[in-house]
Amino acid sequence: MKFGKRLKQQIEESLPAWRDKFLSYKELKKLVRQISSAESCVEYGKADAEAEFVHLLNNEIDKFNVFFMEQEEDFIIRHKELQQRIKRVIETWGPNGTKPSEAEYKDEMAKIRKDIVNFHGEMVLLVNYSNINYTGLAKILKKYDKRTGGLLRLPFIQKVLQQPFFITDLVSKLVKECENIIDEVFPVEQEDEEEIVKEQREAITVAGKGIFRNTVAALLSMQEIRRGSSTYGHFSLPPMDLPDSDLIHSFQLNSPIPIV
Amino acid sequence: MPSSFLALTSFKDKYSTSPSSFQVSSGREVMENSAPLQESSLAPSNGTLGNSSLSPSIVTDHMCASALPHVQHSHNPAFISQSSRDLASLPPLDASFSQSTASLIRTQGNKDVSWSLDRLQMFLDLPENTPAPNQLVESSTGVLASEDHNKKTNWQEWADDLINVVDPDWSKILDNTNVLNPRVEVPKPSGDISKQQPQFHQNQLVPHGEFSSHAYPSSTAPPTKPRMRWTPELHEAFLEAVNQLGGSERATPKGILKLMNVEGLTIYHVKSHLQKYRTARYMPETSEGTSEKRITSIEEMKSIDLKTSIGITEALRLQVEVQKQLHEQLEIQRNLQLRIEEQGRYLQMMFEKQKKVEDEKGGVPSSASDDLLAPLPGSKHPPCNNGKSDSEALEQDHSRTGIGPGNAGTNEDKSSSGVSTKQKMLETESTVHDESGFSVSKRARTEK
Repeated sequence: MKFGKRLKQQIEESLPAWRDKFLSYKELKKLVRQISSAESCVEYGKADAEAEFVHLLNNEIDKFNVFFMEQEEDFIIRHKELQQRIKRVIETWGPNGTKPSEAEYKDEMAKIRKDIVNFHGEMVLLVNYSNINYTGLAKILKKYDKRTGGLLRLPFIQKVLQQPFFITDLVSKLVKECENIIDEVFPVEQEDEEEIVKEQREAITVAGKGIFRNTVAALLSMQEIRRGSSTYGHFSLPPMDLPDSDLIHSFQLNSPIPIV
Repeated sequence: MPSSFLALTSFKDKYSTSPSSFQVSSGREVMENSAPLQESSLAPSNGTLGNSSLSPSIVTDHMCASALPHVQHSHNPAFISQSSRDLASLPPLDASFSQSTASLIRTQGNKDVSWSLDRLQMFLDLPENTPAPNQLVESSTGVLASEDHNKKTNWQEWADDLINVVDPDWSKILDNTNVLNPRVEVPKPSGDISKQQPQFHQNQLVPHGEFSSHAYPSSTAPPTKPRMRWTPELHEAFLEAVNQLGGSERATPKGILKLMNVEGLTIYHVKSHLQKYRTARYMPETSEGTSEKRITSIEEMKSIDLKTSIGITEALRLQVEVQKQLHEQLEIQRNLQLRIEEQGRYLQMMFEKQKKVEDEKGGVPSSASDDLLAPLPGSKHPPCNNGKSDSEALEQDHSRTGIGPGNAGTNEDKSSSGVSTKQKMLETESTVHDESGFSVSKRARTEK
């Protein structure tokens, strides 16, 4: 039940448009329970139930694929557009531009910075989306096999590994490119370490809704999910190593739904 | 679990001697194995539900082929499969990342280089991003960097230690495994897929000559709206066409389609892409889509900003750091998941092979195997083929064409003791299948 709760929390914290695109973990779990309790009946019934289960899983996978690729397409477009936009701003209001204006330049750059950071965040959240759905699928398959004595998990998961929604290479690449852009667009400042840390701690108290919060939620969820399950086995993930765990935990100070 | 350990280290050995070839072969192997598995399992679903719309959601041959590089990509150097218990005691697999991840976090770049517009321009001009030296100033990043570095060295040391513990016989077995993997060809059930596949395969080649093997579709149920997976290269081609036609307002989908000249691209794809593009262009400040998306922490921070005197820039930096962390963790997790599954698959195959060998020899297993192979009460799987999932049937095929009698002698000793260990390792995954010829239907299942 722990994963189910975590997933639910993440969904609640996720961007609104995404909320119905996640795995229907609870429903699938119910189905598995139904199937396993009705096991005692006809053998043919079991094969039928498995087919039904597989059918539902495939529907979920379709859902993921469609959503994932739509988002990916959007990201490709926006990524390019951001680059163009930066170029335009520099060429127009930059020192060597057509109509140099420091005020405009600063203003526009501030906006760009904000947009880029949020864009970066959204992309990372899509990778997270992919991963959490995969994790859910793996868990549900494990449950199925355990309860029904089936052999569904191993071959099915192999298929899942090749689904478009799981192959996040392109989005990850865009994320990294975005990080490079961010490095370029953010000025280098010579503050000393102490001051930076202090400011960060103060910034913690205002961690708000939206992408940032979703990111924090995702990170902490991941840590919790991997903390060590009751059914720890060879197909389980080891506990996560999150270097700034305390810092990230403190981001939740104002959260009505503490994820601890 | 000594023998399993040996089995796993032999993967490493094989890999360390010829890294690129191992990547290729392992990648291909995954493809070959999974393709038949997928296609065969299409059959029962179609049969029982009479619904051909199931098939599109399962990856087919062509998609396998084009997905190959991605599997390769995730097989990083220092690939070592280990039981997850051992993994837990190890530092996280930072070293197993692709280099770009590492470089971003660890590069203590030119901190004294000031922000130069020239560099920015240069950067923007490059179509494919070549990362400029990072100017990470954050102290937190510095902390991250040193930690990561430590983990990396630890990991490498441990990996190096493993290399020395190599059992050459196991590598031979693995070689045989790779070579003798059957490729079960199952005719594609859905005509729609086969129609679409060859077309989309071309997508990769036409734009710019350099193709991203990413451009394969996943077909959805209704064939009238095939899903297209866009790539940056494809998008570039799109942009070129649009510009030639006078901009996003003036260009028509038909014209764009014609100019792009990409096989398999339909006007629907272009239409929807054009729509997205127009939205993105003319709503740059707000986001593309609902304004809800833009309720960000920054806006909230701005208002409270005055009280807490934090620069927006600093808040943004913080946000990026957290996002980067999430991304890093996700990559780690994904790699782990891939490896776990790969390991499970290999073990399963080896186990099947061993079972096959024992069956061939007329059922003279060691006493250890005997206990495990004893029929459990209330064994659930029916011997008839209807009840079996096709994956099981396929595993039998694997066993059948697996190790021939010639090899049986060399690996039997190791395998027998290996079987019991593997049995435990596979837990609920391990099964023993008999072909219908055998009198007793056995099924071994170890509980946790």
